[in-house]
Amino acid sequence: MSIPTPHLAATAALAMPGGAPAHRRLLDQVLRFQGYLGLLIVFLLGSAFAPVRDNTNLFLDLPNQMNILRYVAETGIIAIGMTLVILIGEIDLAVGAVLAFSATFTAWLLTNGQFSTGTAFVTVLFSGVALGFVNGIVTTGLRIPSFVVTLAMMSFARGLARLIFGGVSIPLLPISEGGGAPESAFFFSQRLGGVLPVPALVMFAMAIIVGGAMRYTAFGRHVYAIGGNSVAARLSGVRVDLVRVTVFALCGALTAFASFIHAVQLNQGAPNDGYAYELNAIAAVVIGGTALQGGIGGIAGSVAGAWMLGMIDNALNLNNVEADVQLLIKGALIVGAVALQRLQRRT
Amino acid sequence: MRAANDTPATVALLRMRGICKRFAGVTALDNVDISVHAHEVHALMGENGAGKSTLMKILSGVYRHDNGSIELAGRTVSPSDPRAAQALGIAIIHQELNQVPELSVAENFFLGRELKNRFGIIDSARMREESKRWLAELGIRVDLAKPLRNLRIAERQLLEIAKAISLDAKVLVMDEPTTALNTAEVQRLFEVVKRLREQGMAVIYISHRMDEIFRISDRITVLRDGKLVGSMPAHELTRHALIKMMVGRELRELFPARTRQSGAEVVAVRGLSVRGSIGRQALNDIALTVHAGEIVGLAGLLGAGRTEVLEALFGVPAPERVSGDIRINGTAVRLRSPRDAIGLGIGFVTEDRKQQSLVLVRSVGENASLAALGRFVRGGVLQLRREAKEVGAQVRALRVKTPSLHTAAASLSGGNQQKVVLAKWLLTQPKVVLLDEPTQGIDVGAKAEIYELIDRLAKSGTAVVLASSEMPELLALCDRIHVLCEGRIAGTLDYTEATQERILDLATRYSAHVENHIPPPGGLSTKPAIEPASKVST
Repeated sequence: MSIPTPHLAATAALAMPGGAPAHRRLLDQVLRFQGYLGLLIVFLLGSAFAPVRDNTNLFLDLPNQMNILRYVAETGIIAIGMTLVILIGEIDLAVGAVLAFSATFTAWLLTNGQFSTGTAFVTVLFSGVALGFVNGIVTTGLRIPSFVVTLAMMSFARGLARLIFGGVSIPLLPISEGGGAPESAFFFSQRLGGVLPVPALVMFAMAIIVGGAMRYTAFGRHVYAIGGNSVAARLSGVRVDLVRVTVFALCGALTAFASFIHAVQLNQGAPNDGYAYELNAIAAVVIGGTALQGGIGGIAGSVAGAWMLGMIDNALNLNNVEADVQLLIKGALIVGAVALQRLQRRT
Repeated sequence: MRAANDTPATVALLRMRGICKRFAGVTALDNVDISVHAHEVHALMGENGAGKSTLMKILSGVYRHDNGSIELAGRTVSPSDPRAAQALGIAIIHQELNQVPELSVAENFFLGRELKNRFGIIDSARMREESKRWLAELGIRVDLAKPLRNLRIAERQLLEIAKAISLDAKVLVMDEPTTALNTAEVQRLFEVVKRLREQGMAVIYISHRMDEIFRISDRITVLRDGKLVGSMPAHELTRHALIKMMVGRELRELFPARTRQSGAEVVAVRGLSVRGSIGRQALNDIALTVHAGEIVGLAGLLGAGRTEVLEALFGVPAPERVSGDIRINGTAVRLRSPRDAIGLGIGFVTEDRKQQSLVLVRSVGENASLAALGRFVRGGVLQLRREAKEVGAQVRALRVKTPSLHTAAASLSGGNQQKVVLAKWLLTQPKVVLLDEPTQGIDVGAKAEIYELIDRLAKSGTAVVLASSEMPELLALCDRIHVLCEGRIAGTLDYTEATQERILDLATRYSAHVENHIPPPGGLSTKPAIEPASKVST
């Protein structure tokens, strides 16, 4: 996972030109690869402390690693969209609720609606775009902080899911298992060659596409410029509002994609799903080194962040650590990651 | 006027000795000495970046000095923060006043030290009473219950001074106090300063305006590049000698010689009016033309509308606030956004480099290519190599001192940051370049380079509009200077007839409060403050 994002070059260059003290340069390198370094450390710790059974390290075991990836994929895909939103200096608190709506919608379309996989997929994607678009339009058009707008959307999308689909979970099973959904929809719950989970593949593919767009398109540059200084961006001819709305819509689309995967993996879509997903996604982005103020960061770091969070959960589970403790650790990690960013800025 | 001779020969009230200050490896102050006496107005002079404000920030406890000592009335002091400095009797009137516009005059007067009754409730009546007494002492009569924002800048400054006096200040530092004042207001301020001097206060006065310095100060200390150049009684110095001390070289070397030719009309503005908005001066019936190869200047006091004219030409204000006729190359245009303006070949170097021009956290290369990105896109994909090549060439051509194109813009010096901004616009291959205070906060060396560049830009056929508060800059570079006052063009001066005095005169033409205008007693000389050497030669 090493998509070269432009931010890496920029943050590295935050070091004073020439002759910074050695410890300072080391610190810069650490901060530059914050997400990946964290991932590596967690991997090593996980391996070292994992229980061993029948001569296999339960953590290092390939099926376990693949399970981690499968588990990480949903958060990772959402985190990719969240990265864009945070890069422009905004926030999207509604992704969990949008996921609930879109997952329920997915189940309804495939089961109750008898839609084909393709039609259902495109429709769900479109619904995600629509909800994200509303976030973007209200934020830019009415000049309401995205924190407030997406907080409202958080309530709205979940309410919409309950209202339309009746507040109960809709089962989603293939016809072969007595359900009403076409088999092809369940491609997203498969494993390639029986090993690599398709959701993880989707996550990596999205990371490469979006990460590439960040580096190789004007749109990507505009995202960074707006997050760094929206006034300067506007005065340099960037269509700031258009880019903002597009980013929110993209975040909605990626969340909808994750919802589709969510529904087919869980064999249901429920209006109560996706609880606290926004926090996981934001945590992944921040741990991955993207600045909450915007302008600095990148997609690859966020995927690494999500992966790392998944690995921690997995390693702790293997060691029978309670779920409550896992929450504590996650909280401490977020604070630690932001503290590291502050350190970086103090040049 | 100059009280240097009749000042009682006392020991210095304030003595800063051997002051050194470094920031992240950059020396801001190097062994600086300054002695200020009671009954003295002491001018502190120097170009931007010379170290004046750093020295004053050390005095007022904002920064700690690395080396050296501060003595106040013979006692060594070391103010740890602004409050401690205040307690020692050191008061600073900043350029940007630390006031709360929504609070009343009296509340601002007692900001942070509100008077309370015995129940701990704020005693508004007593605050009004007390502040009235202090203000009356300076001859200020304002409604104390009114919100501060209704006061003119001059009155707000006087309020700050009164506050300093009420705090028993012994040393009063004034940082560029007259930037936004009209002639009468300057006069009134000077009366107050003179009164304070008589009462035994030591006043440290920072200003760029030569005529003011010679009118008000007893002693002048000059800093350059963080070092002390010298300290002399004001009457022993001439303007010329002072400029030489500040700049370190003859001023005429700073500006390029005048050898331009103008071509076709590029910008034609008629009847341009813009409705004002928060923090923005309304414009009224502005007319101006700029030919290819011309530099047209915009002069005026702070808030006269210079920036607003440039913004209107760049599509910044909401289109519904703008009326009038703007033509670019003879075609009437409607500028709905900066993007429209850029599309028409207009570039805008804004006044506030950090807030408006640069994305500081991003790299030099990304900043430079931001406005011209479209040029590097083929089939929706950025051609990074071609971009790096062209941006690199432009950055090198402007001699930007940067370790690489990947260096964050934030880590460059002011002058180099400004060059990055210029590179950004040059990469768009503009037909019109709007410059707002292009040399603000830039060291002298870089200034000369930027002047040279502006001149070259015009020579290559670009139409340039230059707004500046530095009159020597306008006088030396411009073919024509429009002087703005309260959002209108008060007059236009050809370069052959423009002088600092004529500009200042026009700049205060429509000012309110002129009824009590007192002609300055011989302080304003009739000869140009700085001879625009290069222009006389044509």
